Amino acid sequence: MNKNLVIGVPSKGRLSEQTCEAFAKVGLHILKIGSKRGYRGEIEGIINLEVSFISAAEIANSLITGRIHLGVIGEDLIREEIIGANDRVKFLRKLNFGHADVVVAVPDCWIDVRRMRDVESAAQTYRRHHHRRIRVATKYMNLTRQHFIHHGISDYRIVESLGATEGTPTSGKADMIVDITSTGETLKANNLRILDGNDGVILRSEANLVASNTIKWIPETREIENEILSQFDLK
Amino acid sequence: MSAETARKFQALEDQARNILNIFCTAHYEAVAPSIIQPADIFLDVVGEDLRNRTYVFTDPEGAELCLRPDLTVPTCRLHWQRYNSTSATRRYCYNGSAFRFQPTGSASTNPREFRQAGIEYFGSKQYEVAESEILALIIKTLKSVGLQDFEIRIGDVGIFDTLLNTLDIPARWRQRLKMQFCRPNAFRTALEELSSRPAAVLPGVPEDLIRDLSNAKSSTAEQIIFDYLGHHKIEFIGARTISEIAQNLTAMVEDAKRDPISVTTRELLEAYLDVEAPVRAAGARMRDLLQASGLSLSGALDIYDRRIKNFTAAGIDLSKLYFSANFGRRLEYYTGFVFEVHSPSIDADTPIAGGGRYDKLMRAVGATADVPAVGAMIHTERLLHVVEGNLL
Repeated sequence: MNKNLVIGVPSKGRLSEQTCEAFAKVGLHILKIGSKRGYRGEIEGIINLEVSFISAAEIANSLITGRIHLGVIGEDLIREEIIGANDRVKFLRKLNFGHADVVVAVPDCWIDVRRMRDVESAAQTYRRHHHRRIRVATKYMNLTRQHFIHHGISDYRIVESLGATEGTPTSGKADMIVDITSTGETLKANNLRILDGNDGVILRSEANLVASNTIKWIPETREIENEILSQFDLK
Repeated sequence: MSAETARKFQALEDQARNILNIFCTAHYEAVAPSIIQPADIFLDVVGEDLRNRTYVFTDPEGAELCLRPDLTVPTCRLHWQRYNSTSATRRYCYNGSAFRFQPTGSASTNPREFRQAGIEYFGSKQYEVAESEILALIIKTLKSVGLQDFEIRIGDVGIFDTLLNTLDIPARWRQRLKMQFCRPNAFRTALEELSSRPAAVLPGVPEDLIRDLSNAKSSTAEQIIFDYLGHHKIEFIGARTISEIAQNLTAMVEDAKRDPISVTTRELLEAYLDVEAPVRAAGARMRDLLQASGLSLSGALDIYDRRIKNFTAAGIDLSKLYFSANFGRRLEYYTGFVFEVHSPSIDADTPIAGGGRYDKLMRAVGATADVPAVGAMIHTERLLHVVEGNLL
């Protein structure tokens, strides 16, 4: 039986670099094994640990299917991809990078819409005028649905959008959006405005170290998990 | 998974045959609508909430399709494609698979692939007679396949709508309460707000704009908003028109001037939603409530009484029937009478059969006017589970 602990780390881009930096800061040095373009690695000095470089979306999936013990991933992806996340994974440490908010934004010219409740009333007028439900473009289908249910809004349709979501109200593909933003500049540039207060912010996300509750943990893997966590706590 | 054992499969098949026989003998035409359906219609009818329980997929040409989450909408489509008429009167029955994702995992009483046996009765303008026919046939069917111990919960979404219509409150408030009827928590919040501080519907909207709109005629409201946007250099984008925004904002300004919903009215609504009793007692209770409030709601209550009379005429045992004003709230497409059959051997959230009236549903598949429609379906796995015990 394999007694190694497997940790999933983003394979590409800024998130990958920041993960390595954050780990290095607490004395955990992530190294690639073999080719620089390879997908396997280790943490210097910790035996019985494998690093698996995979895409961010795959980390969520691997955590619930039990292919990895630990993973570094944004909370937004966890909440979006994993139904019942609180039972199926455990959030271990916030990593203080990858900050971004999942927000609800409407065209700035909708001066009658400042809260979710106003969306509901706009949706009613909209249905009368356009004979269809108001359209929300997003890639966060589950987060959007939960937020809208929470506010008692059902008269809308989700338009799945995998890129350039903030352009959909202007292009006419959708009427409003749920998207991720860190500074809000892109939204502003596209004449969009975030709804007031908590109505506008579905989730304040950042990268997290997350453990799978689905995978079978044995004393050996627990020990390595504790070793990693203690490094973070020393800091 | 349904039919996971050969034995269970056989038992379900046998039961299905019996059920369909009874439906057909009662002159319901057996139909088999398509399993793959356009996703649009379902999402439009039931909204986004059901999307995470529906298997939605995209075909190679990009069309958004789904595995049918129920058979009522597919049967409506079949009927509409055949007759394209709001007056065609037809009875249908079916027994077929439907598919729903079960967030907490597939269980024997909640499989992701399950078989619905159902009946639909379209076009009959004898509303209460049709409702009694459907309920009586379902009871007869359940009994004849061996269900002995059961209780029936009935409700009527229409009574609440009628009640709201008789209240002297702004149309938008009424609409809001109607929309939130099926979401008890949001409904409570809405009622709370409208009966205490309706003026608070306007935070964030600049005061000078409110002042200008307050004195404006509707024709000038659009111009005021147009000027406001121009003055603040706000780009106008999106499908919503200036006139929509003007209408909505003007209505908000008007509503804010109205008195909150009175304590009496609020208490009446709450008292109504608390009504839960055997059918006759419930009828009497509702009459008392209305008499005390001085509102006239006799139309809706006459329908209620007529329905009860028809139940008796159809041979339905009234002692098994409970009325609950709250019931029907979770099911958005019902427009009037609703019912659910419960067995004491499975939990209260898991009905064995259910149905009701949904006169607006045909619109979703193309009709330009309401079509009287009442129907019901049996969860065949649950029925088998109760009738045969937990031995499968």
